[in-house]
Amino acid sequence: MGKTRIIAETGAGQHGVATATVAACFGLQCVVYMGAEDTERQALNVARMQLLGAEVRPVTSGSQTLKDATNEAIRDWVSNPTDTFYIIGSVVGPHPYPMMVRSFHTVIGEEVKQQLNGATGKDFPDVLVACVGGGSNAIGVFYPFINHPEVQMFGVEAAGEGLDGRHAATLTRGAMGVLHGAMSYLLQDSDGQIELAHSISAGLDYPGVGPEHAWLKDLGRVTYLTETDKNALVGVELLSRTEGIIPALETAHAIAALKKIVPQVAADATIVVNCSGRGDKDMQTIMDNL
Amino acid sequence: MSSRLSSRLLTLKSNGEKAMGIFLTSGFPSPEATDLLLDSIDVGGADFIELGMPHSDPLAEGLPIQYSSTCALKAGITMPGTLEIAAQFRQRSETPLLLMGYVNPILRFGAARFCEHAASAGVDGLIIPDLPPQEAALMRVHMQKYGLNLVFLVAPNTPAERMKEIDRLSDGFVYCVTITGLTGTGLAGRLDAINSYLKHAREMITHNPLLVGFGIQTYDDACDLSKHTDGFIVGSAVIKEVERLWACPDLSMSERGQQVARFVRSLKYGPEK
Repeated sequence: MGKTRIIAETGAGQHGVATATVAACFGLQCVVYMGAEDTERQALNVARMQLLGAEVRPVTSGSQTLKDATNEAIRDWVSNPTDTFYIIGSVVGPHPYPMMVRSFHTVIGEEVKQQLNGATGKDFPDVLVACVGGGSNAIGVFYPFINHPEVQMFGVEAAGEGLDGRHAATLTRGAMGVLHGAMSYLLQDSDGQIELAHSISAGLDYPGVGPEHAWLKDLGRVTYLTETDKNALVGVELLSRTEGIIPALETAHAIAALKKIVPQVAADATIVVNCSGRGDKDMQTIMDNL
Repeated sequence: MSSRLSSRLLTLKSNGEKAMGIFLTSGFPSPEATDLLLDSIDVGGADFIELGMPHSDPLAEGLPIQYSSTCALKAGITMPGTLEIAAQFRQRSETPLLLMGYVNPILRFGAARFCEHAASAGVDGLIIPDLPPQEAALMRVHMQKYGLNLVFLVAPNTPAERMKEIDRLSDGFVYCVTITGLTGTGLAGRLDAINSYLKHAREMITHNPLLVGFGIQTYDDACDLSKHTDGFIVGSAVIKEVERLWACPDLSMSERGQQVARFVRSLKYGPEK
């Protein structure tokens, strides 16, 4: 493609670190846009990106989180279309990005198939659970199973302070609209202005959601639940103490939702939870809040 | 369709005159000041006015219009407020008026209802930079019903075939964006490259008038970039001038208005002798 420069936006910093890593491998210049609030709460990932040679540009407009980082990345991209490629971190943005990112993330679902077969001899799980911000890890784990109606699917959004307070539960409480070049559910006011999302997890702190999730919700194929900041912290503790895995705050929303999901399904159901991220990046937030 | 906008552009063309479009963010610096500013821009000789409908996430805008949008929203401007400002202006002036803004607030208002309200406010057309022509069917049917012009944009990286398609889909004019980038971007050192792209666009776009905009700040920019086009559009430079004047505590509102009119006039006719 002849591109010499890579840009990305990042919320939690995981996508930024991944992008900085490939840019370092291929000797490409890399700029990562990150909300100023997120550069503070995910300082570890900022340091990792910088160590990998990327320039992290803190974004101070709007809510200073993922939405605003995405705005700035899109502005950079339209200003530098010749030499720059934009690696979007979720299944959002203009077509064909949601499809492209879904294809890349489908490795997660394919791996579930393999691991499940090795561990249980089954071809399909009974239940899939994943957290949903933009929705890339969720669509990645869901996609290979979408045409198998026997597989029940749950996406878990961030209810933040609660659905009546500040939250990021776009599918649950949003209305149809257009943001970042895609039509989907959005948190917006009665005048069509985008509302500020809130979640304790930077990766779920986004007022939009991938358009394919909107479609899956409307079809009734995936059930979307919500968990609060508080419950997510309980989820962190639960997985840490039962499995010895400290999950990311994003992932912890999916863990927390098990309390709602398990009673709804058969006692011998095989449930797969996608552990989308690790918690070391969140230790400061976890320590401040637990 | 012989709209107010089309006939104005046609008259200018037959007089051998270039058209000047001026952009103003509705509600900036306050909803109350917008009436005065529209009148000042009108008196300053704008051939048409683009009234910006502020959005929380204006992706195509550089810092000046981002700033004006944030200010306007903080000052309490709403979509009904903007439509009311447009309706009031139409009571006072016959200058063509377009609304420019992002698609989400329009969809939220309701595409059909929005077109109906815009038309009854005396608005002549719409510019919606994040509505791609291939997705515009949802607006087009209502705009045609209410007689609103729909202006699409082309950029230096728009392929020739797409330019022709956009020419076919637009009415009123085609908006030629000077650069791949944001409003208010400096054009220094780029004028020759822009002019060769505009010359190419002029060859591709044959049904509609061609107006150039993004980054035009002075009379010289305007003259230089109007060679191959039917005129030019200025936005960020006007916003910056308004910002400057409103930061001067010694000026009365009417003095500010006069200075805005003078600034606008200088963009088309050059600095006062």
